[in-house]
Amino acid sequence: MSKKIYEKPIIRKQQSGLMNKFGSTQSFRAINAIDGIPIAKLTEEYGSPLFVFSEKQIRENYRKMNRIFKTRYPKVRFAWSYKTNYLSAICSVYHQGGSWAEVVSEFEYDKARNLGVAGENIIFNGPDKTEAALEKAIKEKALLHIDHFDELYSIKEITQRLDLKARVAIRVNMDTGIYPPWNRFGFNYENGEAMLALKRIVHEKNLELVGLHTHIGTYIMSAEPYRQAVLKLVDLAKALYDQYEIRLEYIDVGGGLPSFNTLKGQYLEAEQILPTYEDYAEAITSPLFDLNLPTDELPTLVLESGRALIDDAGYLITSVIATKRLSTGKQSIIVDAGVNYLFTSHWFNHKIVPTKEISGFTENTVVYGPLCMNIDVIREDVVLPPMHKGDKLVVFYVGAYSVTQWMQFITLRPNVVLISEEGNVDLIREAEQLEDITAREKLPERLKEFTLDG
Amino acid sequence: MQLFIDSILYSYAQIFFSNRKWFGAGALLISFFDPAVGAMGLLGVILSNAFAFYLKFDKEKIRTGFYGFNGILIGAAIAFFFQLTPFLVGMAVIFIFLSFFLAASLENLMANLFNLPGLSLPFILTLYVFLIIIVNFPGVNFRDVLGDSTASASYLPQSIHLLFSSLALIILQTNALAGALLLLLILAFSRVMFLNTLIAFFINYFVVIAIFPNPSSTFLILTSFNAVLVAFALGGSMIILSKKTIPLLALTILFVIIFTLFFENILSDKLLPVLVLPFNVVTLSTIYSLKFREENTDLALLYFKPGSPEENYYYHSSRTARFKDFKYLLPELPFHGLWKVSQAFDGEYTHKDDWRYAWDFVITDESGKEYSDEGNSQSDYHCFNTPVAAPLDGTVVRVINSVHDNEIGEVNIEQNWGNTVIIDHGEGLFSSLSHLKKKSITVEVGDKVKKGQIIGKCGNSGRSPYPHLHFQFQLTDKLGDKTYRYPISSYIAEGEGEKNLYVFDFPRKDQIVGNLDAHKTVKTAFDFKLGDKLEFECTFGHEKFNEKWEVKVDIFNVLYIENNSGDRLNIYKLEKMFYATNYIGKRKSALYYFYLTVPKAPLGFADGLQWTDVYPLSTALGGIVKYLSEFLLIFNEPIKAEGHYIWRKNENNNFEIISKLTITGKNIFSFYKKENNGTILLESELGISEFKFLNNGKVFLAKRIRSK
Repeated sequence: MSKKIYEKPIIRKQQSGLMNKFGSTQSFRAINAIDGIPIAKLTEEYGSPLFVFSEKQIRENYRKMNRIFKTRYPKVRFAWSYKTNYLSAICSVYHQGGSWAEVVSEFEYDKARNLGVAGENIIFNGPDKTEAALEKAIKEKALLHIDHFDELYSIKEITQRLDLKARVAIRVNMDTGIYPPWNRFGFNYENGEAMLALKRIVHEKNLELVGLHTHIGTYIMSAEPYRQAVLKLVDLAKALYDQYEIRLEYIDVGGGLPSFNTLKGQYLEAEQILPTYEDYAEAITSPLFDLNLPTDELPTLVLESGRALIDDAGYLITSVIATKRLSTGKQSIIVDAGVNYLFTSHWFNHKIVPTKEISGFTENTVVYGPLCMNIDVIREDVVLPPMHKGDKLVVFYVGAYSVTQWMQFITLRPNVVLISEEGNVDLIREAEQLEDITAREKLPERLKEFTLDG
Repeated sequence: MQLFIDSILYSYAQIFFSNRKWFGAGALLISFFDPAVGAMGLLGVILSNAFAFYLKFDKEKIRTGFYGFNGILIGAAIAFFFQLTPFLVGMAVIFIFLSFFLAASLENLMANLFNLPGLSLPFILTLYVFLIIIVNFPGVNFRDVLGDSTASASYLPQSIHLLFSSLALIILQTNALAGALLLLLILAFSRVMFLNTLIAFFINYFVVIAIFPNPSSTFLILTSFNAVLVAFALGGSMIILSKKTIPLLALTILFVIIFTLFFENILSDKLLPVLVLPFNVVTLSTIYSLKFREENTDLALLYFKPGSPEENYYYHSSRTARFKDFKYLLPELPFHGLWKVSQAFDGEYTHKDDWRYAWDFVITDESGKEYSDEGNSQSDYHCFNTPVAAPLDGTVVRVINSVHDNEIGEVNIEQNWGNTVIIDHGEGLFSSLSHLKKKSITVEVGDKVKKGQIIGKCGNSGRSPYPHLHFQFQLTDKLGDKTYRYPISSYIAEGEGEKNLYVFDFPRKDQIVGNLDAHKTVKTAFDFKLGDKLEFECTFGHEKFNEKWEVKVDIFNVLYIENNSGDRLNIYKLEKMFYATNYIGKRKSALYYFYLTVPKAPLGFADGLQWTDVYPLSTALGGIVKYLSEFLLIFNEPIKAEGHYIWRKNENNNFEIISKLTITGKNIFSFYKKENNGTILLESELGISEFKFLNNGKVFLAKRIRSK
């Protein structure tokens, strides 16, 4: 008999229809403004749908995270995870706060350089670094986090050819007690591959080993795996010192800290079940003191948090196109933003809230996107009051990944605005136009002419 | 040979508490107004110093004239009192040797017994011995010493004439012109000493005239000559100039008069002259008594190699300003990150009386609040459960870990201090960290802890209505012992868009403070190690030259940088600070401009971090303005040189210190203001790569030559 495939258990609230003559209690509080700017004014000026970012929230999150980590460890450095959100304006807010750039492709690398980030302040992660990208990064003294041996050989070859030194670290994967383990990236700790890679680097005169890196996963819902990960990195760092007297400049524990967006299949709201950031910080920082070094010689702790810093600073305003009672009797609404903008709705039950108080019975409603595709569902179940065409809704926790993973699919992508701390609204990405999409297309001469018979 | 000539010239200068060769040369020439006295004085110094070299005394000490000046005095005094005969010269030679031995032994005796110098006591003792035994020898004739002195320059007012004569008498000259020339030498050497001479002389003059209706000219000359010497010694040479200098001089001159009278009475029977005895007694007793004060903030006794009164003052005042609360142990703030001082010294809640030198710290957020939500539960407070670190290496001597954490607003007066760790840092210093979270302490009694090591978590135990950290230094391991005022070696305070560095300072209420993190690049750049060699390509106006530096260490373990022309910059390194302490050398050197650009730097980088420093005026300014301003130095400091520095990152992402040296005059010198700007650039592997200093519109630029 073959082994059964594991399936995660899911707890879902029992739907039992109307329980009393007043219907379900209204469980939302309407939001009519973001950072003091009325939503009506925003859509009037910039249209719908519309992504809105709050600079105030971004900076607050960043300062808070800095405070939490810096009060627990003397040397902390944040590196902004470009893939989480690489809109120029957003990256620049983090760079203004002192964040380095963490990139995973040549495109992201170039984007960081274009924004004025010096090569030495860029962490280059990821399994796919082209030869050309590596050469550029080595020349510009970027920090290369090696993912596999083939990359190590490439770097070795390039540095020898150019007679340059490269500053490198390796990405380490390990068993931290979470499932599934992310063992596809980097070198494994338990089977000794990581130490083997480190030894090879130590013996290359063109490679300067400056750090260790790990990234144990994403949306990690417990602090303990981090403690395990850091303990294992600390173990490697100690071995490096004992065997080669190498003191690392930094230990990079990656990101993966959750935002308070609620995962699908999560019964309780994220805020009620997730540890606090203080708990994560405690788990990450305290094993570093096991290095038993004077404060000055401790490695810098590098954090590549993305989601935790930006998710709650992004909002998506969307409008109701139509309402429809389904054949099952369930209420549904169609809105003008679909999964093409909200890739993340595949994993998260995004909080969706109307922009004005609406009276009437609230009921479970399906929220469909506008695409002519069956998969275009933003929320399968959300308690909403009766909505009408033209009503606005705000989708929460869309700061992370939405504006990088969004697709130009069926429709064009909308405007993105940033509300400054003083309350000014800046357009930071213009809505796409037909020409943006067709400009790159080439139409062969022979296909230009056609006639359509009536 | 050069060494020997130096030793002679410095011996003459020593008599006037001067350290200038030209002063010595001048005094040597002036001593030949009376050729016999001059020649015998010279014989005295030559013999003394030669003897000292022969017996292998400390060369450096001989060079400074330490052994020579008593020789001059005894030689000169013999020629002063007697008509020279071959026999007498022979006797003089013997007594010069005797005075040398007395000087050498008295030096040690006085130093061991009282930690005082011997001054001219060896001379007096030798002379008295000489005078007492010489009467046994026939054919020794006294000279009529003061007989012709009054006649020579009678066109001068009596007082001025007396002033000159008493100055001349210091090197046993009788001609008033000699005194006048000496006064000019003094003026060139030191404005302070010049003024002090006049002040001392006239105080003495008027007091003597007021007390005695008809004082003898000998008494007048004796008292004024001793008064002037006291003014030399106490007016800036052996005691550093301060506002109390003139009152001190006035008082000690009264003592001079008293002791002159006293010695005159008891010595006259024995036919012994009083000479410099009152000066020695008054100076030594004054200095000795001043050693026993509780505080040395004014009338400080000289504790370094003497210079002119001005130099002593500049050195001392800049040193006290720079190293006011300097300590050898270097504690830091007992936490990581930024915390706010919610109660400092002499606080309004509990830091009073014996417990006044303590700090309370909390963490505030972006909006300045200590808590999130309502602040009704412990965990709402940002500092609750945040790690607390050891401020300094040490051994844990006391741990209390089981006091419950109070609900917000409640206090536990029975267990006032709550959970506490007390650490013994050695040298008699202990620190105590209180109100920690129950069961959060991770160290045990007997554990060795390192600075910055986490020892527990901030909590709310004991007399703590809301979570905070109480931190104090004390002198025993007792729980709740009285506090001891000890500075934090360095910290950064942030606020109002500024980041300021404080060194050996005490965090003040409401400051948001954090430790300075050392930065590798900066630390390497300023980490001058013995034997390090650097070379710079310098441009100053149209001139171009290369300058080489080498880091050396002297016998006193002072680390210094010496350039290829022998200029010297003393440096001092702490864990997180670099200091250039003193520059000696010419003004046109990269070393000098390096010192002006950055006499002090933190070994960590924080963008926009600012700090300040002061310069001794003697190294920052020269010329006529400084010269004139020194006439006012005995009243206040008319011109000040201050520096302001800021860390910045330049467009190439390299660290840069922008420095500004401001020299400002006040009162009648308020017309004077000068601002010089400098920068120093660091590169990550090279260290210091370039510095420039804009001096009066002329740029000094030094570029590091990279060695391959």
